[in-house]
Amino acid sequence: MNLAAHTTTLAETIAFAILSAGVLAGGLMTITRRNPVSAVMSLVLTFAALAGLFATLSAHFLAVLQILVYAGAIMVLFVFVVMMVNREETTPIARLGLVVRAAGVLAAGTVFYRVAWLVARERAMPLLAATAPPPVVGFGTVSSVGALLFSDFLFPFEAISLLLLVAVVGGVMLTRHLRENRSSRIP
Amino acid sequence: MPTYAYILVSLALFFIGTSGVLLRRNVLIVLMSVELQLAAGTLALLAFSRALGDQKGHVFAVFVIALAAAEAAVGLAIVVSVFRTRRTANLDEVNVLKG
Repeated sequence: MNLAAHTTTLAETIAFAILSAGVLAGGLMTITRRNPVSAVMSLVLTFAALAGLFATLSAHFLAVLQILVYAGAIMVLFVFVVMMVNREETTPIARLGLVVRAAGVLAAGTVFYRVAWLVARERAMPLLAATAPPPVVGFGTVSSVGALLFSDFLFPFEAISLLLLVAVVGGVMLTRHLRENRSSRIP
Repeated sequence: MPTYAYILVSLALFFIGTSGVLLRRNVLIVLMSVELQLAAGTLALLAFSRALGDQKGHVFAVFVIALAAAEAAVGLAIVVSVFRTRRTANLDEVNVLKG
């Protein structure tokens, strides 16, 4: 919470390096682990480091929310489903269609490389170069984000709660319906 | 840190997520890769929000997180119901919509 620093201090740089290394290493481990449980744990590492990065951006509310929702709720969901669908992959990267997939990754990599190159080239432009000036006091806290959420963004906020309700009902329906069919089919 | 450093991390994370979606065949890991992509988007939103000194980016990040939760719930429900009927979590083997 360096509300006063204009330039990047050494401590900030080190914190950023450690956290972004954690994010990228966690992400890479998530997509390379063969066992889904280790993938979930790597995902948790990624999101914890990401919450740290959010905190360095003065987004305290979002950092807390990230931990609560991802490391709490979504992680538990994933672990439960991994327990139900516990099949280790025999071929983590299937041979079938490997060429097409590799071409896809190559194409995506090219696009991302070009964008990253563009960002790196244009890093002198004011929006990208600036170590942002210290934000106003209260920037990113629960009260200020919450005030915005309940004034200017009240309608989208209600819409998102409707979306969550639909997701919950849909989740229940999707899993319940089939079970009833199944049990009625067994006798 | 300057904003572009955050944007580069966000890009790299999004690329990792995209590779996961394209390369892996385990439904669960594909869903996790989608979560990685959404998280990369959140990071970019917050970085620009900080650079512009505008908290609207935070509001949108809240929406992205809520969306990710809804997506995980519905996606995992579909995985479970597909697994009940097909006994597989491999995307290549799930190629018909019929139950």
